[in-house]
Amino acid sequence: MAERPEDLNLPNAVITRIIKEALPDGVSISKEARSAISRAASVFVLYATSCANNFAMKGKRKTLNASDVLSAMEEMEFQRFVTPLKEALEAYRREQKGKKEASEQKKKDKDKKTDSEEQDKSRDEDNDEDEERLEEEEQNEEEEVDN
Amino acid sequence: MAAVAAGNGAFREEEGTGGDAAAPQPHAPTSAPGARLSRLPLARVKALVKADPDVTLAGQEAIFILARAAELFVETIAKDAYCCAQQGKRKTLQRRDLDNAIEAVDEFAFLEGIGRRWWKSKMQ
Repeated sequence: MAERPEDLNLPNAVITRIIKEALPDGVSISKEARSAISRAASVFVLYATSCANNFAMKGKRKTLNASDVLSAMEEMEFQRFVTPLKEALEAYRREQKGKKEASEQKKKDKDKKTDSEEQDKSRDEDNDEDEERLEEEEQNEEEEVDN
Repeated sequence: MAAVAAGNGAFREEEGTGGDAAAPQPHAPTSAPGARLSRLPLARVKALVKADPDVTLAGQEAIFILARAAELFVETIAKDAYCCAQQGKRKTLQRRDLDNAIEAVDEFAFLEGIGRRWWKSKMQ
C-alpha cells in the first residue's frame, strides 16, 4: 500500500497514547487497528474541514473559524463533542490571552528598565557635581534638558 | 506562568519516544487537570486542513478545535471498537473490531469504505 508521506498522518505515538488512555488497563491494540484508527482520524479531520468550510462559505468568509468547526460537528452528528470542545476553546483562549499579556508585560518591563537606567545615570552625575554646581550651573541644566 | 513552562517540559518527555519530536509541540495544559488543551501537533492538523483545495485560510482557533475534535474522535472510536472486542472476550483490539464499529455506529458512516483503495484515491 503506497501511503502518503507523514505529513498527512497524525503521529503514531500520540494516537497510541490517546487510544490507551481511552481503554481500560490491560487492553492492547494491534498495529493494524492502530493504524486504521490513525487513518480514520485523518479522514475525520478532512471531512470536518470540508463541512466547516461550507459554513464559512455560507457566511461569506474566507477564513475558517472555531464556530464553523463546531457547526460542522453538529452537522456530522457529533453533537456530543460540542460541549467539551467549547470548554477546550475557552481554556485555549485564556491561555492565548495569558501568553499575550505575559509577552506584553515583558516588553513593558524591558522598556521600564532602560528608562530607569538612564535616570540613575543622570542622578549620579548631579550628585558628583553638587559642589561644583555654582560654577557649572549651565552645564548641569543642559544635561537635564537632554534627559 | 510557571505551570505552563512545567507543562511544556512534561509533554516533550512523553512525545520524544515516538520519533515525531520534530513536529511542533502542542500547547501546554492549563492548571486544571481535565482541561488538557491538545496533544496532537497543530502543524500536522494544519497540513490536513490545507490539503483541501477549497479551503482558503483557517484561523488558529479552528485548527486547535479540529485537533481536539480529532482526539475526541479517536477516544470515541477506540471505545466503541473495544465493545466489539469485549463481546469476543478478547483483550486486544483488532482491525475487524474497528470495521464492526464503523458499520454499527451511524456517526462513523463517513468512514465506510475506508479501505486501502479509498485512502489511496483520496491522497492523490
